[in-house]
Amino acid sequence: MRNRVREQRTQQGLSQAEVAAALGVSRQTVISIESGRYLPSLPLAFRIARFFDMTVDKMFDPEDEETGS
Amino acid sequence: MTRFIALRLRRPALIAMIGTAYAAAWLVHGGNGWVWAITLEVATVAWAVAVYVRGGRDTDEGALAGSRLDERQQLVAQRSWALTGKVGMLASFAGFAVSIAVRSADWLPFLVILAVTGFAFLMGLSTYGVGEEGPADDATDGLNERAPVSH
Repeated sequence: MRNRVREQRTQQGLSQAEVAAALGVSRQTVISIESGRYLPSLPLAFRIARFFDMTVDKMFDPEDEETGS
Repeated sequence: MTRFIALRLRRPALIAMIGTAYAAAWLVHGGNGWVWAITLEVATVAWAVAVYVRGGRDTDEGALAGSRLDERQQLVAQRSWALTGKVGMLASFAGFAVSIAVRSADWLPFLVILAVTGFAFLMGLSTYGVGEEGPADDATDGLNERAPVSH
């Protein structure tokens, strides 16, 4: 599953530490989410989407899983 | 009680309590046990201080030592504990089987550990909600089928 966390964060000129502090998670977790190694829980996914003023389905794209690519 | 202890002090405090209890056991043991007791207590204090220092680091290990895990780190810790339990259960079973095979008289501790870990697994299933999904609601028959996904 792809996500736009890194894209949105860099667009807004934020560091991973700043995003982590805003979301109440560790910097390491933001790194893991950005790299796709960790899928956040639904509550955290909503927090991420709201933080970047997006909807969850815009922030997280399941296309990779559905196409198997 | 841990509510009143600062997060970063929780794990060092736990280590200090466990280490002190073990040192006290050697003291009660008598004989030259006091030498072990003092050695263990010094090692315990050093370990607790090391964990406290590590708890201030901005790493996953630091978060674990400082008891400030986020959801991913909690998941990692849970998986690690689950692995610990599985290995403990397998090791106790292996010890039990080997002690039976070689006709050793020391099979009972292995059996006790095996029983305790097995019981802990069942207790975990009960505590964390297996079987709490409730009966199917006939009124919703047909509604549980997968809804079409709109794109």
